[in-house]
Amino acid sequence: MLKEIFLFELSYRKNRAANYIYFGIIFLLCFFAVASPIVSIGGAQGQIKPNSPFAIAQITLTMSFALMMISSAVMGVAIVRDFDHNMEALLFSTPMKKMHYLLGRFGGSFLVLILIYSGIFLGLMAGFAIGKYMPWEVDWKTKEILAFNAWSYIQPFLYYTVSNLFIMGALFFMAGALGRKAIVIYTQGIILLILYSIADSFLANVEWKETAAMLDPFASQTFEYTTRYWTPAEKNTQLVPLEGIMLYNRLIWMAVGIGALIVTYYGFSFNVVRNSLIKRKPSTVKEQAKKTDVVIPIARQVINTGTYLKQLVNLSVFYFKTVIKEIPFLAILITGMLLLIVNAFNMNQLYGTSSYPTTYSILELLDGFTLFFIIIAIFYSGELIWKERAVNFNLIMDALPMPSFIALLAKFMGLLLIYIVMLFLLIVVGITIQASYGYFKFELPIYFSSLYTTTITFLILYTLLAIFIQVLVNNKFLGFALCIVFFIVRGVMGELGLEHNLWRFASGSLGTFSDMNVYGHYIPSFSWFKLYWFALAMVMFAVAVLFSVRGSEAVLKMRWKTGKLRLNRSFLIFTFSVLAVFLFSGFYIYYNTSVINKFVKSDDQEDLQEEYERKLKKYEFEAQPRIVDTKLKVAIYPSARDFVAEGYYWLKNKTDQPIKDIHIQHSIENQLIINYVKFNREAKVKENFENFKYYVYELADPLAAGDSVQMNFKVTFDTRGFEQGGSNTNVIFNGTFFNNTSFFPTLGYNSGVELGDDDERKKRKLDKKERMMERNDPRGLAQSLFGDDADHIRFEMEISTEGDQIAIAPGYLQKEWKENGRNYFSYKMDAPMCNFYSVVSARYAVKKDKWNDVNLEIYYHPGHEYNLDKMMDGMKDALGYYTKNFAPYQYRQLRIMEFPRYASFAQSFANTIPFSEGIGFIAKIDDPEKDIDYVYYVTAHEVAHQWWGHQVMEAGVKGNAMLSESMSQYSALMVLKHKFTPEILERYLKYELDRYLSGRAFERKKEQPLEFVEGQNYIHYQKASLIFFALQDYIGEDSVNAAFRRYNSQWKFKDAPYPTSADLLKEIKKVTPDSLQSIIHDMFETITLFENKTIEATYQEKGKDQFEVTLKVSAEKMRADSTGLESVIPINDWIDVGIYGKNIAGKDSLIYLKKHKITQKENTFTIAVKAKPRKAGIDPLHKLIDRHSDDNTKGLVKK
Amino acid sequence: MQLIIQNLSKTYSNGVQALKDVTLTINQGMFGLLGPNGAGKSSLMRTIATLQEADSGSVQLGDINVLKQKEEVRKILGYLPQEFGVYPKIDAVTLLDHLAVLKGIVNKKERKALVEALLHKTNLWAAREKNLGGYSGGMKQRFGIAQALIANPKLIIVDEPTAGLDPAERNRFLNLLSELGENTIVILSTHIVEDVKELCTDMAIINKGQVLYKGNPLDAIAEVQGKVWSKRIAKAELEEYRKNFNIISERLIAGRPEITILSEGQPDSSFQQRQADLEDVYFSHIFNSSKETTLA
Repeated sequence: MLKEIFLFELSYRKNRAANYIYFGIIFLLCFFAVASPIVSIGGAQGQIKPNSPFAIAQITLTMSFALMMISSAVMGVAIVRDFDHNMEALLFSTPMKKMHYLLGRFGGSFLVLILIYSGIFLGLMAGFAIGKYMPWEVDWKTKEILAFNAWSYIQPFLYYTVSNLFIMGALFFMAGALGRKAIVIYTQGIILLILYSIADSFLANVEWKETAAMLDPFASQTFEYTTRYWTPAEKNTQLVPLEGIMLYNRLIWMAVGIGALIVTYYGFSFNVVRNSLIKRKPSTVKEQAKKTDVVIPIARQVINTGTYLKQLVNLSVFYFKTVIKEIPFLAILITGMLLLIVNAFNMNQLYGTSSYPTTYSILELLDGFTLFFIIIAIFYSGELIWKERAVNFNLIMDALPMPSFIALLAKFMGLLLIYIVMLFLLIVVGITIQASYGYFKFELPIYFSSLYTTTITFLILYTLLAIFIQVLVNNKFLGFALCIVFFIVRGVMGELGLEHNLWRFASGSLGTFSDMNVYGHYIPSFSWFKLYWFALAMVMFAVAVLFSVRGSEAVLKMRWKTGKLRLNRSFLIFTFSVLAVFLFSGFYIYYNTSVINKFVKSDDQEDLQEEYERKLKKYEFEAQPRIVDTKLKVAIYPSARDFVAEGYYWLKNKTDQPIKDIHIQHSIENQLIINYVKFNREAKVKENFENFKYYVYELADPLAAGDSVQMNFKVTFDTRGFEQGGSNTNVIFNGTFFNNTSFFPTLGYNSGVELGDDDERKKRKLDKKERMMERNDPRGLAQSLFGDDADHIRFEMEISTEGDQIAIAPGYLQKEWKENGRNYFSYKMDAPMCNFYSVVSARYAVKKDKWNDVNLEIYYHPGHEYNLDKMMDGMKDALGYYTKNFAPYQYRQLRIMEFPRYASFAQSFANTIPFSEGIGFIAKIDDPEKDIDYVYYVTAHEVAHQWWGHQVMEAGVKGNAMLSESMSQYSALMVLKHKFTPEILERYLKYELDRYLSGRAFERKKEQPLEFVEGQNYIHYQKASLIFFALQDYIGEDSVNAAFRRYNSQWKFKDAPYPTSADLLKEIKKVTPDSLQSIIHDMFETITLFENKTIEATYQEKGKDQFEVTLKVSAEKMRADSTGLESVIPINDWIDVGIYGKNIAGKDSLIYLKKHKITQKENTFTIAVKAKPRKAGIDPLHKLIDRHSDDNTKGLVKK
Repeated sequence: MQLIIQNLSKTYSNGVQALKDVTLTINQGMFGLLGPNGAGKSSLMRTIATLQEADSGSVQLGDINVLKQKEEVRKILGYLPQEFGVYPKIDAVTLLDHLAVLKGIVNKKERKALVEALLHKTNLWAAREKNLGGYSGGMKQRFGIAQALIANPKLIIVDEPTAGLDPAERNRFLNLLSELGENTIVILSTHIVEDVKELCTDMAIINKGQVLYKGNPLDAIAEVQGKVWSKRIAKAELEEYRKNFNIISERLIAGRPEITILSEGQPDSSFQQRQADLEDVYFSHIFNSSKETTLA
C-alpha cells in the first residue's frame, strides 16, 4: 500500500507544471549566478575562484533556504490538496493505513522536492561548463578557474540542501496535515522566517556566534561560523567537513524534522470533521414569532457624490477590518514587533558597546521590517483584489450602484488604514524601547516625519503597483509571481545599464538622518521623486480602474469594452492630469539631476578613469614644485550649500633641475567651478584636459631650482538643484566638513583615480596595479603619507560662515569678528604643518578645559553632551602619556569637532580632530566594568596621530600605516591599559582578533606582513593591536616606548626623505633582547599563526593550600603566505601558561601566569599552586594569533 | 416599464455561443425563464444585470439602455446570482447594512428599519446575529433574496434560486417571491417547471441560447392539451419505442418506464391520453430543439 501511495504521489506530481517551473527557476538562478554578471548569489571575488568549493557551497546553501517558498508549496500541499479538492471523504473512507498514507505522501513529495532542488548543482555545473561561451559578459571569462570536481557540488547539496529540505519539508508537511488549510502553511512559513531573523539578530554578537551556529536550522550561520577565518587559499580547496558543530547542528535539526513527522502521525486523524480544540457553545437560534408579513418600508435611495464618499468610507473600513482579522497578518505584525524589540537589545554596537536609543536609531531598526512590509503589501493587495471572487460574492457586489473606481479605491484605502495603524503601533513599540532604556527624548516629530513619509510612500507605491499587476493579469498567483519578478528586475536594473533613479520604481530617499543636519538637503529630491512615482502610480491606478473586472467578463478585450464605458469626463481629467504631473516631474528631475548636475553611469565613470590613466599616466613622475605656503579665504554659505575659496599657494622647486610645466589637477566634483588660476609670473595653459579638469601650465621662465612661484586661485562650490543620489554630504546646512584634497587644486597626476580592481583592470587590458610603492622606492621615500604635493607648509586661513555657525580650521584663532551678519574666523598655524587641513562649520556648543598649557575644546551639537567628559579625559590622559613617554605635544591647543554621521570616523588634523556624530557622541557606556569605552579609546587614538603622522610624517610606501595607524593603536592601547581593568582590555583584544581573522578571510589581493601593510585596515588596525600588545608583554612597555621615543626624536618635523617601517623596526630590534629577536620576525616580517590547545588538565590536592596541576598542551606554529596557505614551522617560543582560581568576588582570576619555552608540539607541565585551581591552559590571555582561541584553556579535573 | 430585449447574441471566447438572437419583451410581474442547465439563462440574466457584455443586440429598460447606462440600471436592480457565497465571518445584519449603504440608502434610521424588515420578511430575524458561514443552503438563499430587495428595486433578477433547496425551503422561498410588488419586473430563471407554473404570469423557454417559446404558461399548456399520450412499458421495449415514436419524456414509475409522446391523435390503443401540464410543454420544446440540432 505504501508503495502504491508513494508511486501515486510521484505520478501525480509528474503532471504538475508547477514542479517543472520550480526546477526551472532554481536551475536558471544557479546557472545565471554563475554564467551572467546580473544574478549574483554569494561572492567569489579577488583571490577566491568562482568555482571554489567554498563559493559553490555558499550558493548551494543560499539557494536551499532562500527559496523556502518552494518547499512550503510542495510539501504543504501533499495533504492539504485532499481537503482543498474535497477528496477527504472519499479517501479516508478507504481501508488505507494512516501510516502508509502519511509516509507515502511525505516520501513521494520529498523525493519530488529533492529532484526540484537538484536544479542547484545541475545549474551550477552547467553554468561553469558553458558559461565561458555565453555571448555576454561573464566575470570569470578571462580568469583561470579550478578543474571540475563533482564532490564540490554534491557534498554541500547533501549536507545542506537535502537536510534542510527534510527539516523544512517535515515542518511544512506537519502544518499542512494538521492545519488542513493552505493558509496555515503560509503562516507557519512566515512565522518561521521571522523567528529566524529574530534569533539571527539576537545572536549577532561575537560572543554568541557559536550558539547561533549551533541553532541555525538552515546551517547557514554554522557554515559562516566554521569558515569565518578561512583564508582565500583554504576557500579554494576545502569543504566543510561533517564534524564538530556542523555535525551537531545537522543532528539537532534532523531530530526536529523526525519529531515533526512523529507529531504529524499522532496528531493526524482520518475523521473528516474534527473535534475542535475549543468547545464552542452551540449557538442557539432563538425561535421568535415569525413576522414574515411585515411590509418592507420605503427607504430613500440617494446616489450622489456624498453617497460615493460614504460607500468609499464604508468599504474601506470593511476591508480594513477583514485584513486585521486575518491570522497571518496578525502573526506578521506581532512577530515583526518582536523582531524590533530583540534588535533593540544590540543596537548600533561597536566593540559590543551600545548607543543611546535615539529616535533615528530606532527608526533604522525598522529597516528590518521592510521585508514584512513588502510581504504585507503584495500579499494583501492580492487578497483584497480577489476577496469577493474568493468567496463568490463578486456578482452581488458588482451589480451594486457604485462607480467602478470605488471598489478598487476602497481596497487601497483599506490597506492604507492598515499601514497607518501598523506604523502607529511601531511608534508605540519604538517609544517603549526608548523608555525601557531610560531614554526619554522621544522626538515624535521625527517618528512621524520619517514613518509617515518614506515608509508610507514605499508601502503606498508598492500597494498600487501590486493592485495594478493583479488587475491586469487577473490571476492571483501569477500576480504574486509577477510582483516578485518585478522586484528582481528592479534589483538588477543597474546591471542592465538603467542606473538612473528615474528607472527605479519608488526610488527617492530621505537619506541618513543626523541630529545635526536633520534630513538636510534630501527633502527636495525625495519629494520630487516621490511625486513622480505617485503620479505614475496614479496613472497605473487609472488603468487598473479601466480594466478592473466587474461582472463575469475576464477576457481583456471584453474588459476593455466594459472599461470604455467608464471613460467619463472626470476620469479623463484625472488621468491626464496625473499623466501630466508624471511627465512634468520626470522632466524636472531629469533637468536637475542630468542637465544642471551631472549624472555619470558607473560604466562611464570607469571609462573615464581608464582614459585618465591612459592619457595622463605619462605625467605621473613629472617633477613638480612643492607647496610651502598656503593662505586662503574660504566663505561658506551653508544654507545655499556653497562656498568660495580664494587665495594662494607658494610653490617651491625643491629639485635640482628647473621646472617649466606646472600640472594642476582640480577637483572633478561637478559643483566645483574654477574661477581662475594665476601665477605671479607669466604662464599659459599648454595642455588642457577639460574632462579631467587637468591643466598643464607652462611658465614663460622656468622655475629655477630653489626658486618659488605664487599660484593664486579661486574656486567656487556651487550647489544647483538636486542630484540623483544623495548628493555630497560635505557642504551642508549644518555640519559642513571637508578637507583640502576634496575641493582645492592639487599638483600633478593623481594615481588614486586609477581603477583599483584587478578584475576590472584585466577586462580593460590594463596592467595589474600595485596598491602602494615598494618600501625602498626612492620616489616613495621622497614623499610623505600625505602625498607629493608638499612636505611641510605654512598655513593661514580665514573662514566666514553664516551668523549662527562656528567655522574651524587647523591653527590658532587670530581674530574673530562679525560682518554683514556673518561670522569671520582667522586661523594661523605658527609652525610648519602637513599639507592636510579641514574646513568645518556648524551650529556648535563648546566645552572647554585645559591640560597644562594646552587649551582643550570640544565643539559639539547641543544635546550630545553624553560623552564629553570621556573625550576630555581621553585627551588629557593621552596627552599625558604621550608627552611623558614619546615627546612633548607640539601645539598649545587641541580641538574635537563633531560632524554629521554621514561618515563614521574620526580624523586627526593638526591640532584639530573632526569626530563623527555616529561613533562616540551617542555611545552608551553603561557598565565601565564590562563595556569597552571606545569613545575614550578613539579619542586617545586620534590624539596619538598628533605624534604619529603629524610630528613624524612617514614615507608614502608599503608599510606606512604601521607607522601612523599601528603606532597610534599601540599608544591608545597603553592609555587604555592604564585606565581600565585587564578584563576590558582582554575583551577588546578578542574583538580585534576576530576582526583580524575575518578581515584576512576577505583579502582580495594578498595579505601582507605588518611591515609591508598596504592600506589593509584589518592589518594596520586589528593585527597591529594584537602584535604591539604582545610585543610590550614580551619586551616590556618601557622598552617599546623607548624605541618609539628614539624613532620620534630622529625623524620629528623632517622633510623628505621620510622614514619607513624599517626605521621603526630597527629601533624595536635595539630594545629587544637577543633571546626574543625571533618574535620580531614572527610579528612584523611574516604572517605567523599559532594553534595552541589544552588537551588535558588535571590537579591533585597535596595538602592544605597545596595543589599540583598537570597540564597537557599542544602548540603549533604556522607560517602563512599571502593567499593564506599555511605550513607548520618548528616552534621555539616563550608562551604563557596560566592557571585560574576564584577570587573573593567569585570571579576567575589568574593565580599563575608564566612564560614557558616551548619547543615541541606536545608538552606536559606540572605546576604547584597555593589556591584551589579552576581552569588552566596555554596562552590564556590570547596574546598570540590563534584561529581557535577558545580551546586554549580547559576546566581542571581533580585526579 | 418594460424590458425589451432585441436580437441579443453572445459568443464566449471559447467558441460557445451562449445567446443566439434572443428577442424578448418582459412586462412587470413575474417572468419565468425556463431551460435546462447550460441553456443560456444565466448568460441572459447577467447581461441584463450589467455584468456581461453582448456581442450584438440591445436591451432597453424603459428609457434606459441597459448595455450602456449600467449605472442607471444598477440603481434599480436587485440581483441574486445563481451560485453565490458570503463572507463567512460576518453576520447577516452587518452585511445587509453594509450592502444597503452601498446601494445608496444613506439615512441610518431608514436603513435600520429596512434591514430589520428584510430580515423579518426572509425569516432570518432569529439568526441575524449568526455568522453567515453557519447558514444552511436555504437560509443563505433567503439572505440572497433579502439583499436583492434592498432599495425597492424595479428590476429583480433571480437566477435559479430554488436549486438545491428542500421542498419546504423552496415553498417558503417561492412565497416570498410571489409577494413582490406587482409594479416590479421579476425575472426568475429555473430548470424546475413547477417554479414557473406556480408563480409566473409570463414565461420563455430557452435552450442552447435560443428562445424556443414565449408566452403565458396557461396558453402554453393549452397548445399541447389533448396531444399528450403516455404509456408504461417494459424496460426492454424502450429502445424500440424510442425508434418509432417522438418520445418527449420518459420517467420511471415504480421501476418501470413511462413514456410520454406528443401526437395529434392516439398513436395506438395502448397509449392513454393525459392531462397536459407545463412540463410537457417544456419537454416538447426542448426535445424539438435538440432534434433540430442533431439533424442539422
